[in-house]
Amino acid sequence: MIDQRVFKFPGVKPAMAIMAVLTFVQAFMIIFQAKYLSIAIVNLWRLKSVRTIVLPLALFAIVFLARHLLTLAKNWLLYPFVEKTTKTLRKQFMAKLFDLGPSVVAQKGTGNVVTMGLEGIDKIQTYLMLIIGKVLDLSLTPWIVLIYIALIQWKEALFLLAIYPLIIFFMIILGLAAQAKADRQYAGYQRLSNHFVDTLRGLPTLKQLGLNKTYANNVYQVSEDYRKKTMSTLTIAMTSTFALDFFTTLSIAIIAVFLGFGLMNNTIQLLPALIILTLAPDYFAPIRNFANDYHATLNGKNALTAVLDILQRQTPTDRDLLASREPVWQAKDTIKFTHVEVSYGDKQTPTLKDINFNVQGFQKIGIIGASGSGKSTLINTLGGFLSPDDGKIEVRGTTVPHLDQRAWQHSFVYIPQAPYLFHASLRDNLAFYAPAANDADVTAAAAKAGLTDWIATLPDGLNTPIGEGARGVSGGQAQRIALARAFLDDSRRILLFDEPTAHLDIETEVELKKTMLPVFDHHLVFFATHRLHWMNEMDYILVMDHGEIVQQGTPAELQQQGGAYVRLRSEMEGATVK
Amino acid sequence: MKGFFATFKHDHWVMPYLRRYKKLLALVLFLGFMTFFCGGALMFNSGYLISRAATHPYNILMIYVPIVLARAFGIGRPAFRYAERLTSHNWVLRIVSDFRKRLYEAVEKQAVAIRQTHQTGDVLSILAEDIDHIENLYLRTVFPLVIGWLLYLFVVIGIGYFNWAFGLLMLVLLGVIVIVMPLLSVTVNGRREFQARQVQRTFYTQLTDAVLGLGDWLISGRRQDFLAQQDAPIDQIASLRRSDHHFQWWRNFVIQFIFGAAVILIVWWAGVMFTHNQAEANWVAAFGLALFPTVEPFADMSQGVSEWPVYQDSIKRVNRLDEHEPEQVQQARIGKLDELQIDHVKFTYPGAEREVIDDLSLTLHPGEKLALLGPSGTGKSTLLKLILGDETPTSGQITLNGEPVARLQDQRAELFGVLDQQPYLFNTTVMNNVRLGNLNATDEEVMAVVKAVELDDLITRLPAGYQTQVQEAGSRFSGGERQRLSLARILLQDAPIIILDEPTVSLDPITEQHLLDTVFDVLKDKTIIWVTHHLAGINHVDQVRFIEDGHFDMQGTPAQLYRENPRFQSLYNLDRGR
Repeated sequence: MIDQRVFKFPGVKPAMAIMAVLTFVQAFMIIFQAKYLSIAIVNLWRLKSVRTIVLPLALFAIVFLARHLLTLAKNWLLYPFVEKTTKTLRKQFMAKLFDLGPSVVAQKGTGNVVTMGLEGIDKIQTYLMLIIGKVLDLSLTPWIVLIYIALIQWKEALFLLAIYPLIIFFMIILGLAAQAKADRQYAGYQRLSNHFVDTLRGLPTLKQLGLNKTYANNVYQVSEDYRKKTMSTLTIAMTSTFALDFFTTLSIAIIAVFLGFGLMNNTIQLLPALIILTLAPDYFAPIRNFANDYHATLNGKNALTAVLDILQRQTPTDRDLLASREPVWQAKDTIKFTHVEVSYGDKQTPTLKDINFNVQGFQKIGIIGASGSGKSTLINTLGGFLSPDDGKIEVRGTTVPHLDQRAWQHSFVYIPQAPYLFHASLRDNLAFYAPAANDADVTAAAAKAGLTDWIATLPDGLNTPIGEGARGVSGGQAQRIALARAFLDDSRRILLFDEPTAHLDIETEVELKKTMLPVFDHHLVFFATHRLHWMNEMDYILVMDHGEIVQQGTPAELQQQGGAYVRLRSEMEGATVK
Repeated sequence: MKGFFATFKHDHWVMPYLRRYKKLLALVLFLGFMTFFCGGALMFNSGYLISRAATHPYNILMIYVPIVLARAFGIGRPAFRYAERLTSHNWVLRIVSDFRKRLYEAVEKQAVAIRQTHQTGDVLSILAEDIDHIENLYLRTVFPLVIGWLLYLFVVIGIGYFNWAFGLLMLVLLGVIVIVMPLLSVTVNGRREFQARQVQRTFYTQLTDAVLGLGDWLISGRRQDFLAQQDAPIDQIASLRRSDHHFQWWRNFVIQFIFGAAVILIVWWAGVMFTHNQAEANWVAAFGLALFPTVEPFADMSQGVSEWPVYQDSIKRVNRLDEHEPEQVQQARIGKLDELQIDHVKFTYPGAEREVIDDLSLTLHPGEKLALLGPSGTGKSTLLKLILGDETPTSGQITLNGEPVARLQDQRAELFGVLDQQPYLFNTTVMNNVRLGNLNATDEEVMAVVKAVELDDLITRLPAGYQTQVQEAGSRFSGGERQRLSLARILLQDAPIIILDEPTVSLDPITEQHLLDTVFDVLKDKTIIWVTHHLAGINHVDQVRFIEDGHFDMQGTPAQLYRENPRFQSLYNLDRGR
């Protein structure tokens, strides 16, 4: 329950110290509260005048208020620490994401990372707030109360002490039984619970198959199955709470009966007996509070583990090995890969094996291959999003372990199949790499990318918000926006294309190609695609298969040599119209 | 308050269920009440027990009843609590089954067979979440509220029975806790909740931008801007949460304050009422202690109620679902297909300015194969929706054998088979997924169609063969394999007209070739309308038509177009890689 790493957060020791002191004082307030109330009640029982209860009740009032003010104070004083820690965690998380790059997002899944940053850290905040308070409460309050009770009557105190481990024992046993049952049922359970959303998402398919109306009964039936399964799990899961409830409540009843006998035998007076009876619920209160928030603490602990796991990853420190230079690329510059090997994800076998090539100056390099041949992985490696496991990369004469170099990243534009459009204005999207550009330059770049006509149709022109949920942007236009970025920041002389036209219809592709070809001049271009016609524009082609470059050369050379290139082309071309 | 009643004025999703399962509901409320009654009664009884015992009765039988009651209440409270929790969950889950079915039926009416944007998926997930919220509404707000009020009434009446003036005082004092505090919580929280949601949405959007667009952020090198962008929403969220917490702590303190006053008043009153003789005086302790266990349910009421704004949102959203039955058109049936005719069809989406389809005419005979091309947004998908009958033309009509498609909706699944871009596979076995095409198909028939689409090898090699859960094997099925499974479904359906909606858009050229060859082979006797985005496999069709600005542009047989239309020729050559 208690994660050790909580104690490493800055400021945790003073916060805990204050909380411990306040909890300690609060325990005494609880004791005095019981004492003064009991005094007042016993006075009345002795049929003394009502005046005699004024002082005890006044003292009770003060102590009662003090106790609850202390609760307020504990929260008030702990919160700044929790808030500061949470804020720091959020900021560190974002910074870490930036430093680790898209590979960690791809590994964890976008949805997970976003949830972590938002809800995950919220849960951590709740966890911190709860765990420190409840743990201190549990460690201090019951024992102070117990010692006081022991000073009055040791038999009752012994009973209370003995009950504690019994409670914990039963809760653990029953908790484990419930967990075992839940685990056995988990797979089927998940399926039932996801069935509803699954069905809703599959509605178009159900409609196609004419099953949409009849499926309603299926939805009901499955939901009922889910209900029965849930109830059978709950019946067991709730027994551990039942055990806690049972032992604590029954203990109070047993204490009352023991006290009754003791009073009858004159081994105890009413006042001490009443104090013990009043204090008994307070003895059990901390563990009951702790159990009530069990789920919140568990969720928080898991969230903490997930977030800290990311925060503890090493950021690459060797990102400045390549010297910054203007212009970033010149005709005599070279980039050379020698026996480079790259693994993607947790795969055992490398995705790219023995990659060798040597490119100089401004050229158009085509990368072609069947699906799964490693084209995207090669582009990602060129972009510095992936690090090689082995081999040598040499840029402008400098050897670097990977291309995640600051200077390198400022020298290229990356255009994937689906360029990401930010939730911002069109202008902000266009000027993303050069935010300081003025409107005239932005409009000019947009014109070169062929966007002028489309912008004219937009309600707010360049200031129209785009991105998911806002104005829809078609596939061809998204590529043009990405291209415009290249036009705008002319200093970026390297272009990396990863299947930019695969999803587009043929006519849009033809139009887009007319816009793209002029950009290739005076740039170093790496163009990965399975659309064959692009190869006709390339100076040099890398033919990939199963993660290796099986052939490379100019288009003419490859055509003449025959082999992999020619085979691939004919396979992709397919039958022709007669 | 006004908002509260307005929400339920036109509600037919929440209130009716309170009436439908009212016996179970009464049981839940009873069990809940008994839980807290036992808790209070335990302390009441114990107070009396020890006071009576302290008067040294000559015979233990004098306190026999309280001793038995002590054990009864001690066991009763946990037992009732356990029973109440199981019953309340059971009640809620029953309603959920009904809800899901209704929600499905409401959404199903508006479903279309041609895929919408993924945004629809998100809307559906939100609706599914709404049901969870309504579950929580009952469990966390309604039940604690009503049970708390029952308890409140019991306490007030109990005290009023002895002295109506004092009963009135308790009515007012405790009324602050159980009526005023919840109301206050809802009002204060309502405003804050609205703000919080705005901020949360902004933060979510920015976080998504940060995560999905991380590659671009890295390339731009704008680390400072990246971090700065998150600062504002992080601070805003922190500030909102802080206000939230402060309010809660103070509210809880005030509740305790009032509660303390109530206890003091009760003791004083007991002192006045019950100190005429010793027998009466034994009751003072009972009254003094009885109120303490009630603070927990009373305080929880305010907490549960403060979550109301979230629930209100969900209630409004489900009530807004249009359960209006679409206009019923008299249905007909046709026999063997003779022709499909599109007759001067025009179409504009309701509320849009642009005419998407501008006078299209076309006739198809059985066995003919048509390919439709054109840039996205030109109305290809819309034409498919019109052909299937999901939309109705603004003018003109589409008929099969002279019968308008709107009158053939009941027969639709027998007439049309649809192959999507992203075929949806349900979370069930492979066998069941394929069998969806024809629920009456035997296992042998299913295996025959899987063989026809050349997947039999792959399926039999899976660990559970045809019984493999698709969810587990989801990643094992590549894009091409998923399309083949969908094709198998269509073969089972055995409809005469097959609609192919860009089924190869996410496939690489070699997979695409093989799939198209298989598709046109197994469907060689069918009438096919194929929307495609480029010219691979175009030689399989009899007719090609390009749609531009809502009407047909180039059209003819593939060979004809290649010979006679230079534009088509250049597109084709480009597409084939020349």
